[in-house]
Amino acid sequence: MTDKQKYTGNDMIVTNDVDKIYPNGCHALKKVTTNIQRGEVVVIIGPSGSGKSTYLRTLNQLETISSGEIIVDGVKMYADDTNINKLRENIGMVFQSFNLFPHLSVRENVMLAPLKVAGRSKADVISEAEVLLTRVGLAEKMDIYPNQLSGGQQQRVAIARALAMKPDMMLFDEPTSALDPEMVGEVLDVMKSLAAEGMTMVVVTHEMGFANEVADRVLFMEDGVLLVDDIPENIFGKVTNHVRLQKFLSNIR
Amino acid sequence: MTVGGLMNEKTNKLKWHVLFIITIGLISAGIYSASQTINYKWQWHLVLPYIIDTSPIDIIAQEDANAAVNADGVITLTFDNGEPSRVISGADQVLISDGDLIFEGDLLARKEGIRSGVLIDGLYMTLKISVISLLFSIIIGLIAALMRISDNPFSKNLSVLYIEIIRGTPLLVQIFIVYFFLGTIFDLDRFTAGVVALSVFTGAYVAEILRSGIQSISAGQMEAARSLGMTYTKAMTYVILPQAFKRTLPPMAGQLINLIKDSSLVSVISITDLTKAGREVVSGSFATFEVWFTVAALYLVLTSTLSWGIQRIEKRLANNDR
Repeated sequence: MTDKQKYTGNDMIVTNDVDKIYPNGCHALKKVTTNIQRGEVVVIIGPSGSGKSTYLRTLNQLETISSGEIIVDGVKMYADDTNINKLRENIGMVFQSFNLFPHLSVRENVMLAPLKVAGRSKADVISEAEVLLTRVGLAEKMDIYPNQLSGGQQQRVAIARALAMKPDMMLFDEPTSALDPEMVGEVLDVMKSLAAEGMTMVVVTHEMGFANEVADRVLFMEDGVLLVDDIPENIFGKVTNHVRLQKFLSNIR
Repeated sequence: MTVGGLMNEKTNKLKWHVLFIITIGLISAGIYSASQTINYKWQWHLVLPYIIDTSPIDIIAQEDANAAVNADGVITLTFDNGEPSRVISGADQVLISDGDLIFEGDLLARKEGIRSGVLIDGLYMTLKISVISLLFSIIIGLIAALMRISDNPFSKNLSVLYIEIIRGTPLLVQIFIVYFFLGTIFDLDRFTAGVVALSVFTGAYVAEILRSGIQSISAGQMEAARSLGMTYTKAMTYVILPQAFKRTLPPMAGQLINLIKDSSLVSVISITDLTKAGREVVSGSFATFEVWFTVAALYLVLTSTLSWGIQRIEKRLANNDR
């Protein structure tokens, strides 16, 4: 429990009673309430269709919510005067299917948003891109195109691309699910180093080892309900008294 | 596969190539002998002057004057009304003598020279109207495509209405409507009317091609761009459209080739394009068959140059990524 006390205590992401009902009537999120603190690493687990990806995507408004409230870094996301584009600049996102821009080289992928959105100078952006790509171990791949990279390499470029906007928080939507098993490690390593630097991270994943090792807190969701919100020791420990969570964990082991 | 097998395959292919050439030869011979049965006399040399005009250029007097011709064949015209005299040099054939009294419209001299013939002038007009219409049709098509995929019912309906009306009516009728109706209201000249009709017509097809191209780009691309803080417009400009343009290059090439061919219809509003020039030359030379074959060949030069150019662009882009 002492883990949490090292944080400043101010909330980075606040979600109150978030409900999401799709036009087809599917009730994807039911009164999800939780706070994510500055520097915290939160891992969301749960069976497919549990709403964990939907919840993650509401945090940068790739999905809108039906009711409730989301406050990111003190800004109410659904207030009328909120500029969602400005807000998103501060929220990096990494997707399951990488979504790199295939018509741009690796370097250009990383440089596009800092140049066109943040409006930084080209010289700065070039050197920043080199630093970021070196950091994810792809310094020698800067001038090739995404389709010439392995999945693991593409995902590392995607992380560098998100970091290029210098966000205060990062969202990961099953970042290793589309990868061959031998490439999962290289992506998780990058994520671990980010966590170690104090980046606020929300990660939807099936990698229980990562959750156990890196997470400050684990959220377990099922049928759109946030069922368990606890530190990993209580989740992955010998006994958890939560029946549904126990069933989920025994199924994936 | 053995070496012998490869050789067999090669000779086999060669056989079909030979058969292809023989067939084309037979068809040509057929056309020729068919024309013989109606006693058609092929006179290809009659077409040449309409492509490259080598006939001497007439120099005609603009107003009444007194002429002086020196030994080198230089004509000096002096005018009664006190205007400065005019010197005409370089004529190859002088048709007046020194001291002649000249009246307006008199033929003074002839000059040798090479000019583009009527057909080449027509080809140039076709090229000009096609290129200008091409630029406008891409702009119109892009706007209509973006309106078509927008969530706003106003934009969407407007775009659907435009595309359906244009694709559901013949181009020839549209040209008449633009020229006689819009042309009269807005006082458009023939050329402008032709460009408007062709761009609006082709724009509807370009819109549909671009729309399908934009929609073929995975939703993840837009999401990734938006998650970086890009506005919808920036995401379209830097991420979606570059990919969509590249993907739609083959059908776009087909549509632009259609534009060149469709431009022949503007001859009905008396724009002297290649087709109209062809009609004029036929009535002047009576070499009907030769002229129309030549006109077809000139269209083919334009369209195959365009498709070759687009193939080059496609290849260049293919080097980058898929």
